[in-house]
Formats: sequence, structure tokens, C-alpha cells
Amino acid sequence: MSLLDLKLLRDLRALKSQALAVALVMACGLAMMIMTRSLIASLENTRDTYYRENRFAEIFARLKRAPNSVAAQLAAIPGVAAVQTGIALQVTLDLPGVIEPATGLVQSLPEQGELVLNRLHLRSGRILLGRESMGEILAGEAFAEANNLHPGDRIAAVLYGRRQNFRVAGIVLSPEFVFEAPPGAALPNNKTYGVFWMPYKELATASNLDGAFNNISLRLAPGASEAEVIAAVDQVLRPYGGRGAYGRESHPSHTRVRDEIKILQGLSIGFPLVFLSVAAFMTNAVMSRQITLQREQIAILKAFGFSNWEIGGHYLKFSLVIVVGGTVLGTVGGVALGHRLVEMYHLFFRFPALEFHLATSVVVMAIIVSMVAAIIGVVGAVRAAVRLPPAEAMRPEPPSSYRPALVERLGLGRAFTATFRMALRNIERRPARSLLTMGALALATGILVVPNAFRDGIGHVLDYQWDMIQRQTVFVALIEPGPARALADFRALPGVVLAEPVRGAAVELRAGNHFRRLTITGLPARAELYRVIDASDRQLTLPAQGLVLSAKLAEVLGVKPGEAISVRVLEGKRPQFTVPIVALAEDFAGTAAYMEIGALNRLLGEGDRVSGAYMSVSAGEWVNFLEAVKASPRAVSVVVKNRIREGFRETTAQSIGLLQQIYLTFATVVAFGIVYNSARISLSERQRELATLRVIGFTRGEVGAVLVGELAVLTLLAMPCGLVIGAGFARLILASVNTEFVRLPLILTPANYAFAVLVVAVASLVSALLACRRLDQLDLVGVLKARD
Amino acid sequence: MATATPPSELSPSSVFHARALTKTYGDGDAVVRALAGVDLDCSAGEFVVVLGASGSGKSTLLNLLGGLDTPTSGTLFYRGWDLGRADEAGLTRYRRDAVGFVFQFYNLIPSLTARENVALITEIAADPMAPEEALQLVGLGARMDHFPAQLSGGEQQRVAIARAIAKRPAVLMCDEPTGALDVRTGMAVLEAIERINRDLGTLTLIITHNSVMAGMADRVLTLSDGHITGEKRNATRVAATSLAW
Ligand SMILES: Nc1ncnc2c1ncn2[C@@H]1O[C@H](COP(=O)(O)OP(=O)(O)OP(=O)(O)O)[C@@H](O)[C@H]1O
Ligand SMILES: [Mg+2]
Repeated sequence: MSLLDLKLLRDLRALKSQALAVALVMACGLAMMIMTRSLIASLENTRDTYYRENRFAEIFARLKRAPNSVAAQLAAIPGVAAVQTGIALQVTLDLPGVIEPATGLVQSLPEQGELVLNRLHLRSGRILLGRESMGEILAGEAFAEANNLHPGDRIAAVLYGRRQNFRVAGIVLSPEFVFEAPPGAALPNNKTYGVFWMPYKELATASNLDGAFNNISLRLAPGASEAEVIAAVDQVLRPYGGRGAYGRESHPSHTRVRDEIKILQGLSIGFPLVFLSVAAFMTNAVMSRQITLQREQIAILKAFGFSNWEIGGHYLKFSLVIVVGGTVLGTVGGVALGHRLVEMYHLFFRFPALEFHLATSVVVMAIIVSMVAAIIGVVGAVRAAVRLPPAEAMRPEPPSSYRPALVERLGLGRAFTATFRMALRNIERRPARSLLTMGALALATGILVVPNAFRDGIGHVLDYQWDMIQRQTVFVALIEPGPARALADFRALPGVVLAEPVRGAAVELRAGNHFRRLTITGLPARAELYRVIDASDRQLTLPAQGLVLSAKLAEVLGVKPGEAISVRVLEGKRPQFTVPIVALAEDFAGTAAYMEIGALNRLLGEGDRVSGAYMSVSAGEWVNFLEAVKASPRAVSVVVKNRIREGFRETTAQSIGLLQQIYLTFATVVAFGIVYNSARISLSERQRELATLRVIGFTRGEVGAVLVGELAVLTLLAMPCGLVIGAGFARLILASVNTEFVRLPLILTPANYAFAVLVVAVASLVSALLACRRLDQLDLVGVLKARD
Repeated sequence: MATATPPSELSPSSVFHARALTKTYGDGDAVVRALAGVDLDCSAGEFVVVLGASGSGKSTLLNLLGGLDTPTSGTLFYRGWDLGRADEAGLTRYRRDAVGFVFQFYNLIPSLTARENVALITEIAADPMAPEEALQLVGLGARMDHFPAQLSGGEQQRVAIARAIAKRPAVLMCDEPTGALDVRTGMAVLEAIERINRDLGTLTLIITHNSVMAGMADRVLTLSDGHITGEKRNATRVAATSLAW
């Protein structure tokens, strides 16, 4: 080992806690980078393999009913490689031991052989094949887990009005339901919604679809145009009540996985960038101080003939040790974090096996990136050192010159104590360093605001959705739109206080080049239970004519109130018409179009019909009500508000909890690292000054206050900036997740701000106190002996 | 301050009372006896000059008397209070209330002006004079708002003296106060110290390598190898300005 390397080791030992502080901040950025990059690779690989092996389809469509012979027509469309037809049916489920029913989607298994597309992955039990096994069913894993269902358990389903008992034969996964939730749902609710499969014959008989299908999936031949095939499919299915085909980019499960990867990609750049910048700044501060202290040593080395490169290399090695430490810590942290996240993903996504694999290429990339950050941090300091002519470096640095601080120059300094002046003037003497320190502390404060803004935003949306808009106890849907007297039947159910009709119609809205397929919701003009709310939180009265759109939908379609929009109905008599947009509604989940129910029925031309009802039910009759509704042949899905609400709360609590932990850790590390590092550098630079204060009778506490005062001022200045930055971060992140599926309002509460301030204050204080312990080691006698 | 039983022979004007005062550094073969059993009494208002070769233990003695360090053995009393056995907090209290220090390298706070460097002490002292008054005493009334970097060495040293005396200390400890200064500036600094001793009646101990300064003193101590080897009382004190350098 060369003597320079020996010196390196001794210097490192002296600076070990500071090096650790820098390495920790670096590790945060690297952990995030390693975790996100590896996870993206894992997700993409797992998803692609799953899609390929289980033959996930590329085009999907629902229709009313087509005879099985139409399948051949579909297969004959140029560009179609494979066709899977089948039946998909909404059912109400009755679970043993749970009084509230759940909703399920049952799909058919082919009569012969396996599914051609969207093949199932068996988790436990056995798969159902062909005609065998009457009365058996396969259940999706998410629902089964949430409801503690196992192979062999029994479950009752109301199929087309007939209650039937089934035995769970197996638990399965499907590439169609990686995200196992009803279409358009922002979050899964596995207790109340599940997917199932059963043999075609039984399902067809139950739903009067024998010899027919109402659901198709297609796979494209290589090089085929998706748009052309979709158009051709729509053409073929039009006579059979086709609801419009769509590709993977509109597939509810696929888009959720895709969006998650997009979010990870954002995090994989933003986070590391910010943290590594802070680490670069810290490295620079440590190295600058080290080089100042070793001015004379550098001069001597140069006088003895060491080259600038050798000396520069020596200090670079120093920071490389930090990089290696940071990378090791970052990799360990990234792997741990990755495993936690994969666990959380299990709440949302169901893959045969989603495992966290540390991508080695990512670790190499992390080393390179952090090395670049460290080199950026060191180069400036080292350049100053090697530029120094040896003779000049031998002389001690000239005494530092100060001037009154800005606030004092403005004449506001009279009341300040001498020690407070010291703090202010020190801050002003090194403006760049002070600003960067403040920046890092502001950053720590800011990132703490984000997860709580998420939490509060979600809380607001849930309250808004369930208290402001939907005030029903339960929503009951009919198998298919029925006559208005169905409403009277609902009203006659036990305990029903209020029942209001709803009529849904699948449509395509078109304005210029933009179009969207969705369901128009027809409601009473001024309903009590399902209320359409505008941006200023007032209930809108639905006019006798025209549409009310979600503000987001109007934005997507590029239309404004007062303009007209063309509506093509995708069911029944398929009328087309143009209606004016009369108002915009405010909502946060999905997009909606509302119309007064009478007006909608007139346009549909099928007479007065209802698709279901929103009902408020008295608590005393709740069990009786549910018994009656489960037995009712026409009710196809029963959605109990509080069950859904509870499910959302649990899911968000878990995911936000993890988010909070991550952000809390990172913010604490930054605040802690930056304060500790600054305090140590300050202590080193002002050792003589502080020892002098001790000699002339200042207590340890008073000297500590002098040391910490400067940092306290910076921390206090940084916090408000941090809150502003945090609000900005939250706004930015919320804007990036603001889609047609979910929108989160920016809710910033005093409690959120107070929490951020408190965490940073405590982290700063603790680290400052830790650094202050070094004051005990001040050499009171030594400092008097010589100049520094 | 806690009072220990003072030795019976103590006179009322006694400020320091040391017996067999010893300070050793290191242990085993590497042990250094910086102070090897010193007996010393100093009384209020005295002006004491300490001479001796480099390494003879002068600074060590001053550091013990000034409460910067504790003796390895022996006894040391300050006005009947057992300084030798005081704890960290007690020593801080003592330095804060009773001692003024002047060092060879001034040790001013660079971020504070002359006035503020003095105010630093007057803010925490029990019965201080105004910082302006202290600076007048050392002849720096005109440079009060200058920062250390804007002052010459001698001026900085006089600020250090003003800082040391502003709290009206009972003792003033000066370790080579003129060591870094030329003759003329050194003289101005000594004049300031002399005036403090005369006007405020402060017990003053000065360490120096310069035996010419011995003429200023009431008493001259010579140290060698950790022992007091000479003690001389001057019948009359020579004014700083008339010292023959
Ligand atoms: N911290 C220490 N560790 C070990 N030895 C020490 C220490 N401080 C002082 N010494 C030794 O104690 C002896 C007396 O030192 P002291 O500083 O009192 O000398 P001095 O008379 O003030 O010398 P100078 O005139 O050079 O300032 C010296 O031999 C010195 O080497
Ligand atoms: Mg000395």
C-alpha cells in the first residue's frame, strides 16, 4: 500500500460519520433507482411472459347475442389469428357467513378443450375441462383470498334470476384480470367483486344463450392493423348488438399495469436525480473542507514532486469509497424496498409469479451514476487544491473577512445577541453553501408533504363520492332494462325508505375526431340518492333535454357547455342523435355522462325502462332486505356502498402506508445527513473560535448554540420553502396521475404541513445534538498554542 | 461556589494558593512532568511576570491557574475555593466569572466586530463595564466597528485585552501577549495591561520570553523543568513605556 493510500485510510477513519452521512443520502437515491428499474424489468418480463404463455388476446368486444356460427365470420377477418368466443355474465354472489352479497363476472369455459385465448393459470385445486363437472366453478385468486375461499368450498350465485349452488373446484389467475376489478375501477375491491369461470353448457343454459356467445377475444396475425380489425369486428357484430371492440390500450386490466410501469419510470429518474444532487453537494462540502485543512500537506506533496493528477486522484479515491459504500447500502435498500413493493403489488396485480429480481445492469448503472455525482462534487474542490502554487499553499489561509449581515445593514440588527450575529454573518459569507443546505432541507420537508397529500386527496375523493354524490345504501341492477314497474317492486322490498330509478345505455360519444365509449346514466331530474354535483359543490338539476358530462370527459372530447355532441347508442334500437351539453359535473373517478331519465328513455325509444335502482334501506330491515333481494330473480348485481367504501379504505391505507414509510425514511435521511454534515464541517472550520468561547467562559451548551444557531436559522428558513416545494411536488405528481380513471384533488391540510415541519425539525435537532457531542473533544489548550 | 476548608495560613488578600502543584502528561516511559511540584501564592492587585525556557512549564501553570486544566496532584485554591478538584461545570463558571485571558494569537471571533467581540463577554458577565468603555481603556475607541480582518495585530491584541477585562475579572492571564507583535505595538499592548492592573486592581500574570518585561512586575518567577527556580520582588515597577527593549 502506498503512503498516500495509508493517508487516505486515516483520513477516512477521521471522517467516517460524515462519509456515512453522504453515503446514506446517496443510498436513498440509488435504492429508489435500483428498486424502480429492477421492478420495471420484473413487471415487464413477468407480464410479457404471462401474456405470451397464456395467450392474452389483443382485441376484445362485448355484444348482446350472436349464434356460434358467427365465430367463423370473425376468424375470417383478415389479420385475425385466433378467436375465442364465450359468455360473460354478471352475477350476484352469496357467500357463506356474509350477509352482504358480492358481485361477480362469470365467463364460460369452452365445451371442447382449453381456452384458445386468455388461458387460465391454475393456483390450487383443479381446472374444469369440457362438459364434465356440473355445479363446479373456478374462482379468481384475489376474490378467493379476500373472502377466504378454497377448493371444495361452496358458493351461491344468482344466475339470470336463478339461485344456484356451486363448488369451488380451483383457484385460478387470468391474464385478462391481472388487475381484478370491475372495468373503470380505480382500486380493486376484492371482497365485493370477483371473476369466475364455469363450463359453457351450464352458463349458456342459465343465461338463455345456448348455442350463442356475448363476449369475444381476438389475437392478431403478425403485422395486422389493429384499427382495421376493430372496424371489421364492429361491422360483423353490429347485427348482434356489438358494443364496440377495443384493443389492449383500452383494456382495463392492461392499462392499469401499463400506468404503474409509467409511474415507476417517472420515479426511477426523478428521485435518484434529486438525491444524488444532494449527495454531490454534500461530497463537495466535505471534500472542500478536507482540502482546506490539508492545504499545507498538498503543498508539501507538490513540493516533493507529486503531480496534480496523483493528488487529484488521491482525493477522488476518497469519494469513490463513499460511492462504493453508498452503492452497497443502496443495493441492500433497493432490494428490501423492492420486496416490500412486490408485496404491495399483490394487492393490485395478480401474476403467476411476480418476483423481485435485482437487475445487475441496474447496479452497474447505479455505480456509474453515483460516481458521476461524486466526481461532480469533488472536481471543483480538487481543482482548487491542485491549482494552488506550492509556495502559496504553505502559508495559512488569510483570515476570513466578514461584514454585517443584510438584516443588520437594513438596521434591524440592534436586538440581536452577539452569537446570533455570528450565525447570520456566517450564513451570508458562504451564500452558495447556505442556499444548497437550505435547498436540501427544503427538499426533505417537501417530500414529506407528498404522501399525506395523497392520503388526504384519496380521503376527499372517497368522502365526496360516497357522501356528496352517492348517498344510497345499496345499488341493485337488473339483468336487463325492465319496465318502470320494476321500480315499484324495489320499493316493496323490506326496509326500503327511498328507491330511485336509474337507466344506463351504452353509447359512443363523438365530437370531431374525439370519441369515447361509455354508459349514459339516466337519473331523476333532482335525485336524492345519486346526486350530480358541479364544481362549486352544488347539486345540478338535470334538464329535460341535453347531457351533463364529467368535466374531465368534456376536456377529453374537447367540448364545452352549449355545444352539441353526437351520440350513437350501442344497444337496443341503436338510435343516433345529437344533443346539447348543458352543464359539467365534478367527479374524481372515471368519467360519466348524465341525462334526465325521461329524456334518455325518449331518445332510446323503448318506452319507460329502468336498469336498476339506488335505494336507501333502513338499518333495522337490512338483513331482511338482503335476503329478499338475493332471492329476487331479476336483480343481477347488488352493490353495498359501505362494503365498497371499507374495501377502498383498507387498500389505500396499506399502499399509502408504504408510501409514507418510504418518504419518511428518505426525508429523515436527508435532513439528518445534511444537518449532521453541515454541523461537522462548521465544527471543523470554527474549532478555534468555539474553543476560544469555551476558554473565556461559555458553557458547552452556549457554544453548542453558537454552532447550531446557524443551522437552526437555515432550517427555519428552509421549512416554509419546503412546504411550497412539497405542494408543488404534490401538484406535479397528482397531475401526472390525473387520468380519465382517477383524478385526485390537491388537498393540503395544516396537519400535513405540521407533520412535515415536525419531522424535519426533530431529525435536524437530533443530528445537530449528535454533532455537538464532538464539542466535548475540543482541545481548549491546544487551540491557544498556534494559529490554524 | 462550593467552599472547601481553606488552609489555615491563608491571608485574606490571597487569590491563589498552590502547594506541590503537579501536572504530568502521558504515562509509562512517555510520561512528561510539565509541572513538578510548584508552591505559589498570589495576592490581589499583584503584577506577576513568569519567565522560563521553552518547555519549562509556563503555559501549563497558567492553564491550571486559569481553570483550563486540572492538576494531576497537589492542591490549588482560588480564594479558598478548591480549584484543583472542581468539575467541568465549576471550571466553566470560574473562567466565566473570574478570569480574563489574553493569548499570543489573539483568538478573536472573526465574524464579530471589535465591539461585538467584547460584547460577547459582557452579555454573559455578572457586573461588566460597557464594551465601549473597555475599548476606550485599551485606546481603541475609534475602531470599535471594525472586524478583526480589518485590524492590525496589535489592535487585535488590544481588542483581546478589552474582551478579557470588560467583565472586571479578578485575575488576568496573559500567555505571551506580545509574542506575535513588533516592539512598538508590543509596548502599546503592555501599557494597556499595566493600566488595567493599576486602575482595576486586577491580579495579573504574564508569561513572556522577554526578560526586559520583568521590570514592569511586582514579582518575577522563573520556571525551569517544571519547578520554580527563581523568585524576585521589584522594589519599584518600571512603566511599560520606559522599558529598555
Ligand atoms: N498535551 C500535552 N501532552 C504531552 N506533553 C505536553 C502537553 N502539553 C505540554 N506538554 C509538555 O509539557 C512541558 C511544558 O509545556 P508548556 O507548554 O507548559 O511549556 P512552556 O513553558 O509554555 O513553553 P513555551 O515557552 O514553548 O510555550 C513541555 O515539555 C511539553 O512538551
Ligand atoms: Mg507556552
